[in-house]
Amino acid sequence: MRRTAFLWIGLAAACVALGAAAAFETRASRIQAIKTVGIVSAIGDEMSLTQAGLTGLGNSAQSVSISAWGLDELIVQQTTRLLAGRYRVQPVTYRRAAFAAIRDSVVTPVNLLRSDPFKELVRSDITPQGLDAYIVITRARSKLGNGRSVEGVGFAEYRTLLANYGLIHALYEVRLIEGKSFDVIEKRAAAPLDNTGTVRIGGPSGQVDDTFDVPAANERLRAAIADLITRSLPVTLGDMHLIDGQ
Amino acid sequence: MLGLRTTTIDQASKAGPGPVMKHFDEAALRLKVNARRTTALLAALGVVVTIPQPASAQTAVTLPAPPFELPMLPSPSGNWTVMVGIGGQYMPDFVGSKNGKFMPIPIFAIRRSGSIDQFRGPRDSASIALLDVGNFRAGPAFKYVASRKADKYAELTGLGDVKAAYELGGFVEYYPVDWLRLRSELRQGIGGHTGVVADISADVIVPLIQRLTISAGPRFTWKSTKATAPYFGVDATQALASGLARYDAKGGAHSVGFGSQISYRIDPQWEVHAYVEYEKLLGDAADSPLVKLRGSSNQTTVGLGASYSFDFRIR
Repeated sequence: MRRTAFLWIGLAAACVALGAAAAFETRASRIQAIKTVGIVSAIGDEMSLTQAGLTGLGNSAQSVSISAWGLDELIVQQTTRLLAGRYRVQPVTYRRAAFAAIRDSVVTPVNLLRSDPFKELVRSDITPQGLDAYIVITRARSKLGNGRSVEGVGFAEYRTLLANYGLIHALYEVRLIEGKSFDVIEKRAAAPLDNTGTVRIGGPSGQVDDTFDVPAANERLRAAIADLITRSLPVTLGDMHLIDGQ
Repeated sequence: MLGLRTTTIDQASKAGPGPVMKHFDEAALRLKVNARRTTALLAALGVVVTIPQPASAQTAVTLPAPPFELPMLPSPSGNWTVMVGIGGQYMPDFVGSKNGKFMPIPIFAIRRSGSIDQFRGPRDSASIALLDVGNFRAGPAFKYVASRKADKYAELTGLGDVKAAYELGGFVEYYPVDWLRLRSELRQGIGGHTGVVADISADVIVPLIQRLTISAGPRFTWKSTKATAPYFGVDATQALASGLARYDAKGGAHSVGFGSQISYRIDPQWEVHAYVEYEKLLGDAADSPLVKLRGSSNQTTVGLGASYSFDFRIR
């Protein structure tokens, strides 16, 4: 009886291992087969303004338009530069607002079980079709404090009893979508650049200083956000095995 | 403190290209409704942004990715944070006891770097938030209730053992504001007891500074008869063997209490914490002869711990 049970357990383990190995092989070989890619970026039209920590009732996030900052163009440019050594990157056109409008379900299992919502959009909205793969970069979400969500590009103020802290963030996730079947080969949220802050956001972010008040602040803020993106993109694409590791 | 200045956006717009000014002007109009709060935030945008370089941002160890990946699960590649530590807890020998014991508690957690540590109370069950809309979370919850061995404590002589119980159920928690958590759990017992347990708690969470957070709040527990009787009831056989009067413990309000904790992050790696939880047994639990004659309805748990976090990378 016991021997039979061990045999079944061993058989089940072998099946899982073989299935998993097959899955890995599929993912790795699918990435290797890619020659041409198109890049979509839709994170940079708005900056959220959030307060967390000791805040008042009815405190909701605000947002301001920053489309003039050209962050999506910067992302496409940087990604193109990073991928150029391995892939032929072709310019693509798409409706940025359509990509920016898609959100994950708040019910976590739904996101695991449903078809990725970007599949259909890539199929219907990107021109030209027929590339080997499309890299789609969209807003990601994280927690700040306990009950506050932040997403995409933003400025957050974390308030404590004795001091307030400013944070900027550029939270995004990258999907690698196969150009024929539109399957999502890989999906990854950009990780924090370091893990040393005491006020943490689950993605590229940094604490901001408050020592100046100069007219160029707007441009310097843009530069700081751009720096987060520029430093995190190689790491994220490296983690996805699209470029050599950083 | 952040300098919250009101003129910054205009100044910033002047410095930037035309469309920038347009967008910020539009934003300013849109945000006038919440003028005070928003002005403060917008002004903060103008504050010069410098990102201090972290003291030790590098990940020390890089491990190779496993030679397989499971379907539907994300690739393990990337940065991970491991937290290891040790804690200790002084708690009653058993629920209703007047004596206490010290228990070491290992601390271990692994998560993707940057995942946020959500506030957690010492009495919270293990739980996973399957529904998360920012200030409202819900999902399954699980609690292990250790067995009660009669031969370990003199007060329990003659009462027999109560097997370990596994409580399965769900939780909901709501943050009306970032610093106030309301949480409720409902669990069904399997094993040592087969009753229903409901916990309700509130915690005011006050970050004093970035590194130091204190929290405190009331607790209330309700238990059904099947969850109460195995621990506080005395049947005829037990009465004979223990010398206690026969007692039929019914369900109802089980306890009311108060808890508080403090955590201090010494640096990004080291964190220390301490907590105290006081519980006053109520109803049939408090009236049980086990508690009245040999124990106490005042139950206090004190704990402290320290943990160290480090990163590793999988490629």
